[in-house]
Amino acid sequence: MTPLATVTSHIAERSRQERRKATAPWLLMLPALVIVLIFFGLPTLYMVRMSFNLHVDQRLYVPGFTFEHYVNLFSNPLFTTAILTTIKLALVASLATVFIGYCFALLVWLKPARWRLMFIGLALAPLLISEIAIIFGWWMFFPKNGLLSYALIASGLIRDKVSLMYTEFAAFVGLVYVTLPYCFFILLSIFDGIDKRLLEASADLGATPFKTFREVMLPLTWTGILVAFSQSFIWTMGTYATPSALGPDTLWTMGFLIQEQMLGKHNWPMASAFAVVLVAGVAAVMVVTRSLQTERNSFHV
Amino acid sequence: MTAEPALELRNALRRFGSVVAVNDVSLHVGKGEFVTLLGPSGSGKTSTLRLIGGFEELDGGAILLNGQRIDHLPAYQRDTATIFQSGALFPHKTVAENVAFGLRMRKVPKDEITRRIAEALDIVRLKGFEARYPAQLSGGQKQRVALARSLAVRPAVLLFDEPLSALDLSLRLQLRAEIKRLHDELKFTAIYVTHDQGEAMAMSSRVAVMNSGAIEQIDTPETVFHAPVSEFVYTFIGESCCLPLRITATGVEDRKGETLGLTLGERPGEGECRIYVRPSRLRLTGDAAALPNRLRARIHFIEFLGDVYRYHLKAGALELAADHAGPIGYAVGDVIDIGWRNEDARVFR
Amino acid sequence: MSEAQTAMPPRSVEPLLLKALALAFTVFIIGYILVPILVTVVMSFNDAAMIRFPIAVWSTKWYADFFGSAQWTDALKNSILIAFGTAAISTTAGVLCAWAFQRFHIPFRDGWYILIMMPLFMPGVVLGLGVAIAFGGLTIGDYAIYGSRELVMVAHSLWAMPLVFMLMEATFKTVDYRIVEASYDLGGGPVRTFFEVVLPMVSTGIVSSLLFAFVISLNEFVMALFLTDRDTQTLPVLMWLSLRSAGTPRLAVASVILALTVFACLTIIMLWYVRQLRKVAR
Repeated sequence: MTPLATVTSHIAERSRQERRKATAPWLLMLPALVIVLIFFGLPTLYMVRMSFNLHVDQRLYVPGFTFEHYVNLFSNPLFTTAILTTIKLALVASLATVFIGYCFALLVWLKPARWRLMFIGLALAPLLISEIAIIFGWWMFFPKNGLLSYALIASGLIRDKVSLMYTEFAAFVGLVYVTLPYCFFILLSIFDGIDKRLLEASADLGATPFKTFREVMLPLTWTGILVAFSQSFIWTMGTYATPSALGPDTLWTMGFLIQEQMLGKHNWPMASAFAVVLVAGVAAVMVVTRSLQTERNSFHV
Repeated sequence: MTAEPALELRNALRRFGSVVAVNDVSLHVGKGEFVTLLGPSGSGKTSTLRLIGGFEELDGGAILLNGQRIDHLPAYQRDTATIFQSGALFPHKTVAENVAFGLRMRKVPKDEITRRIAEALDIVRLKGFEARYPAQLSGGQKQRVALARSLAVRPAVLLFDEPLSALDLSLRLQLRAEIKRLHDELKFTAIYVTHDQGEAMAMSSRVAVMNSGAIEQIDTPETVFHAPVSEFVYTFIGESCCLPLRITATGVEDRKGETLGLTLGERPGEGECRIYVRPSRLRLTGDAAALPNRLRARIHFIEFLGDVYRYHLKAGALELAADHAGPIGYAVGDVIDIGWRNEDARVFR
Repeated sequence: MSEAQTAMPPRSVEPLLLKALALAFTVFIIGYILVPILVTVVMSFNDAAMIRFPIAVWSTKWYADFFGSAQWTDALKNSILIAFGTAAISTTAGVLCAWAFQRFHIPFRDGWYILIMMPLFMPGVVLGLGVAIAFGGLTIGDYAIYGSRELVMVAHSLWAMPLVFMLMEATFKTVDYRIVEASYDLGGGPVRTFFEVVLPMVSTGIVSSLLFAFVISLNEFVMALFLTDRDTQTLPVLMWLSLRSAGTPRLAVASVILALTVFACLTIIMLWYVRQLRKVAR
């Protein structure tokens, strides 16, 4: 080959390689992108568009443009109650989950290593079980003929059968159960980044356990608490199965309404409007939490 | 003794399952004394310190601080302050807030707190560092803040948990001198834990050499160095050469049974024994000739240690090391005379 | 020095109180987590059709009933098939994507990252709704997409794939790239190197990803509720639909079977992992 030919073929080879290098990452990302863009991005856009469509008689939807569904959402007391109920339930459940999760994680962190594995296995259990199985488990615990009633009577604490089924409390218990593992693991990983000697140093200088908690643990775990809370809140905002199965029939959550509008009333635009509002709420919570997190989470030297 | 000891341990016992970490330890520490607990890892020195601080519970015995029993009090009710190995400074608090912590817990009034913080930081030579965070400090500075934090509280006893182990050599020597200076100036009572004998010797009024949960000897540094009571203490403090021998009716043999050309000034009784000599006390070649204990050995290799040359020698199964200020004019492979005085050797069975 | 015993200071109450609280909490948390599990297992062996305590007669008849019912075993089959599909799809997509992020420069990297993670933060209802609306009524030739198992697999991958991605991203970071470079140096091309050198090094991560995806898909039922029909319904969906009508131990059995499937997977993973460890240790 002449020198010129060698050089040109070399340049051609290099540019071929460069092209390959440039396209390689996109090829690798292709399956993931297909999934996300076509099965998530597209449906989301479609859903937003759908929420402005009309709904006339029995047809699923009629193309058009209207705000009526959003207006309906915020004016119909049935729906506004549902929104408030969802928020209230999510708030209370999240607070409880974070509190219980914090105590649980603290317990596991402070206990010697041989207990840790057992507790982690325990905390994993609700994650490995389907939500429906969890619902069903509590379904057999709360009613009149359930385990709770039986145990209370058998131990002599009460005389008549009692039912806590279809109460807000039952829904609350179920919700906390499902989100507890997430809170636990988030908080435990935060705790593991803290030097236990700090607790000893605090006590050594005269701080009672309560003071140590307030002065040392709380500031150092604050971001963890926020993250766990927001995770839990976001999840419980979107839930519908547990509250609808375990709670009273009047306990309507947004998730339940979406399901009802979609599968029950076949009102696609309405269902979409609900979904959009729900997602907007979730996004708002995420933004607020992010802004509350200070830069002080770089303390784990 | 008319004065009450500042700190007293009576038959302290601490078990971890089947292991006895602190085995019947008794200790009197006078006010202003600087006592070091020295020993290898597993000797129980750290456990003893933690028992005093209240981070571990006594399984038996008692601990008294200024005459009062404290062993049933939790750590936050004891008048002790600990300086930890890693400093254990609160990362989310400034230097000033760290130092103020103990004072706030003791409900010291605000202006007094400010005064004491300034005083403490001044003493450890960190004036002006009040607003810094631990992440912005070097290792040495962190330990000085830890010192200031514990000093500010003016505890009955200061507990040091190997505070210099994590630092590099020059920093260690620097801070060691600092702590000694502070002790001379402030005269606090201290229990210091370390495995570094240099630290122990340099800083303490008394050294307690610990082994397997018990104190083998507690004396001034000079006494421990020159008059160790047990084989463990002798070998732990300073460097030593060990000569395992068997004394028979006919002569001196090494453990393998080979007879050695070893002349001993004072002959120990028959049987097996170990003779110890320190490398600095071994005399070589000409200097050795007049000494009562002599041995001929071959030079195995030579180490240059800066201040001295260390000659590693072999005689039969025996291995020795002898230090000499300059080269002796012999090379590896040569056979030379070594000697030592009777008072430089210790015999243990 | 007088040998008189020095008076003991009063014992502090606080540490004891804390210890008691800790114990009480431990009992509470163990009880709280175990209650629904134990209740389900116990009830699955109940002979009576009613769910009622105390249990009068014990039997395994409901297990026989479960395996004898075509509807329920079909549901189980669907669940497992879909779970396998989800595991395959999401692991492949996640692994490749994580590798791309690790080794290549990607413009607007953070943006793509957020996009891939976004489905994780969406409630299952919303994802299910979106897919159902977008693909409802769509057909490729004779094959109706809506109601097909494949659609559910992809929908489940919306949650599983980001998780695999996160896990593999962390795993790839632990790979010693000098080994990869050694492979290139010895003449292995990028594709060869990936399959022969990189994948084996991250095999634990991959197996964990497969497991994650499988479990998530197996247990998921909100999205599945929206996207399956009578033929393709999964076991959790069937359980949900039967909740108010078939309140019998049959549901308890279904729960137990579902959980056992998960544990079977876990055990396989554990055994595989132990075998891997032994290989390295030798």
